[in-house]
Amino acid sequence: MLKNYFKIAIAVLKRRKFFTFISLFGISFTLTILMVATAFIDKLLSPDYPDYKRDRSLYVATMEYKNTKQGWLNRSDASYYFFDHYVSTLKSIDKMAISSYATASNAYVNNKKLVIEYKYTNADFWNVLEYKFLEGKPFGKQEINNAEQVAVISEETKKAYFGDEKSVVGKYISADNISYRVIGVVANVSKTLYNLKGDMYIPLSLDKGNRPGNPELMGSYNAILLAKSKADVPKVLKEYNQMMKKVPIPKDFDKVYSNADPFFESMTRRIAGEGSTDGKGIVITMITGFTLLFLLLPTINLVNINITRILERSSEIGVRKAFGASSKTLVYQFIVENLILTLLGGIIGVFFSLLAIYLINSANLISNMRLTLNFTVLFYSFILCVFFGLISGVYPAWRMSKLNIVKALKAQ
Amino acid sequence: MFKHLFKLIWNKKKQNFLFLTEILVSFLVIFAVFSFLTFYFQNYSKPLGFEYKKVWAITYDNRMLTKNTDSASTFYENLHKSLKSMPKIEEVSYSSSNFPYSNSNMSTVVKQGDKKFDYVNNYDVGADYNKVWNISLLEGRWFLPEDKIGKNKKIIINETLKTLIFGKEKAVGKLVGDHENKEKMQVIGVVQDVKANGDFWPAGSAMFVQPDTAQIKYTSTILIKVSADADATFESELYKFMANTMKGSVEIKHLEEMRDSKNEVTIIPMVIFITIASFLIINVALGLFGVLWYNINKRKGEIGLRRAIGASANAVSYQLVMESMILATMSLIVGCFFAVQFPLLSVFNIPASVYIIAILLSILFIYLLVFACSLYPGKQAARIHPAIALHEE
Repeated sequence: MLKNYFKIAIAVLKRRKFFTFISLFGISFTLTILMVATAFIDKLLSPDYPDYKRDRSLYVATMEYKNTKQGWLNRSDASYYFFDHYVSTLKSIDKMAISSYATASNAYVNNKKLVIEYKYTNADFWNVLEYKFLEGKPFGKQEINNAEQVAVISEETKKAYFGDEKSVVGKYISADNISYRVIGVVANVSKTLYNLKGDMYIPLSLDKGNRPGNPELMGSYNAILLAKSKADVPKVLKEYNQMMKKVPIPKDFDKVYSNADPFFESMTRRIAGEGSTDGKGIVITMITGFTLLFLLLPTINLVNINITRILERSSEIGVRKAFGASSKTLVYQFIVENLILTLLGGIIGVFFSLLAIYLINSANLISNMRLTLNFTVLFYSFILCVFFGLISGVYPAWRMSKLNIVKALKAQ
Repeated sequence: MFKHLFKLIWNKKKQNFLFLTEILVSFLVIFAVFSFLTFYFQNYSKPLGFEYKKVWAITYDNRMLTKNTDSASTFYENLHKSLKSMPKIEEVSYSSSNFPYSNSNMSTVVKQGDKKFDYVNNYDVGADYNKVWNISLLEGRWFLPEDKIGKNKKIIINETLKTLIFGKEKAVGKLVGDHENKEKMQVIGVVQDVKANGDFWPAGSAMFVQPDTAQIKYTSTILIKVSADADATFESELYKFMANTMKGSVEIKHLEEMRDSKNEVTIIPMVIFITIASFLIINVALGLFGVLWYNINKRKGEIGLRRAIGASANAVSYQLVMESMILATMSLIVGCFFAVQFPLLSVFNIPASVYIIAILLSILFIYLLVFACSLYPGKQAARIHPAIALHEE
């Protein structure tokens, strides 16, 4: 049966080439845009270099004070003191990666200015995250305790600062007029990982802003808490929330929030949430809303063309009905035909997306971001194809099944 | 004539319904595109209000500096002197972190009597801020050292805020209330609007104040205007000097580059939006063209009859084009009903003129689109020979 429908669909497509072109153009272009968007979202959400252990990681990024009576709100990154004094007491976590947000500094090489964004990190940062070392090695506890002026730099920085030199380990790089000895070079990180990207990583004991014993909770640090296993994540979460209850509430405020979130929630909280809500619902609703809104025009257009094409086939439908085909069969047939059409459009769309992704990647629109069409993206694109095929096929199919036999046969 | 065409359209209302929805949705998309474009163009055509070329911003970490108010003032006075005495630096001024193109905002509320003015950009500025940017005064004068003392705090406001509060009257010498309406602030000058958020955004209302001595220790930005021959060698010397003085992280940014990246934030999404919208419109245009063409082919009999009883070829194509135009008009009436709500409710606080221009442009665009799509099918219909068409029946 399906084979028959397929044959009919292809025959219909061949009949009016101009209409086929219009339909396929609309479908493939619509799906291209959705596929590129899916690839981008996939890039943001699925584990990506160097953050591969997302399923057992929790992300702590913000510290929020609230005065619910006056409506005051103070939000910032957390301080190193907070992680060192409170979070590190949690027993259920395996390791904790602490790093500061990147601070920009300048370096001048051969009369050219270079912007170096550097991050302070702890030793476990290199164990939690799987940075790929092109040469050298990370710094450890010893370097941190001795506050050694050593640095791990990115491949990009190596190229910009040292040029084409083969090995730079042991050489010195200067930022803020301080010379650091390079001990490692890591592969570049995509800018989409805003809390991990940096041009240079240095031991956090060098951060002069961290005065020991200063009990300030707000600062410029964020952390990744690694649970021992995936099953342990809820346990860490529970212990973390217990711990937050003991954190003293600052003067003038009555609430203090800091959340350990799984990756997706940490993103949605940043976009639409605050201390008490993670904003997941809002973000999902917004994305669905935009997708539907965007699909509206191509759908109406496709429905319009489909209806025109059905009217063209009224004699065929009339004959089939006269020989006893039920409305249901006809609806089913037409929806299958439309799905075949959308899937064809989808395949063309994949080629267009490959082209679009190639252009986006080569233009380096977002620094070091490399989009790919992997199986996850293709799977979601397939679902989108089917969804689009269904919503644009149902109404024309219903109209077709309602066609009056006598009229349909008489039309010729 | 029109009545007759309406009847023809009404007879096929079911078929035309989808056509109407499609034009309606296209109109709304086009309206959104033109609203953005008009808004950006209106702002783009206004003067910039300041000079960003050869201005550098030095931002630094002030945590390592002294927190003692007196020694902080001395420190900054000395720093100002040493910078000013450098050969390639023409002007130096301290600034709050929300200088133009900086991605940082600080706003406050100004009260005048019962009226409240929200989102007033609050710039804490040094004595030579206007010289660094070359901001021109429309009224009054810039700050003098003695302005720091005295009963009422002295402020300088921009043209937009002046018009909002005082209309056409003179503002200099008048008093306005601060956010709690407790303390009074005296306006001593009015400056030209400064488009601080890039070329495509309005200046908004702004107010310039001199920070008092207790606030000086929180300063973290110095703006300098350099001479035309300041190059990377000079910049690296300056950088060395600043890094040694501040003992913390220092960054020097060029305002020309900051302006480019600020404008990119507006331009790139707009280019993506326009690309998607134009693909949608091409899609719709092809669809309309196909449907009209098909419908006309189906009406061969009717057209043949009209031709047989003496209608000219032009009259036939005129009828078909007019039918599409009437359909478009019906959609546009509905579309305008929605679009007009934007200026009426002044959504997003954007001037009504933007929306009205956008509505007019969109109407024109949709008419042109429908006209272009129906012209060829109309011409095709006119070529139908009555003998052949009637013979088919």
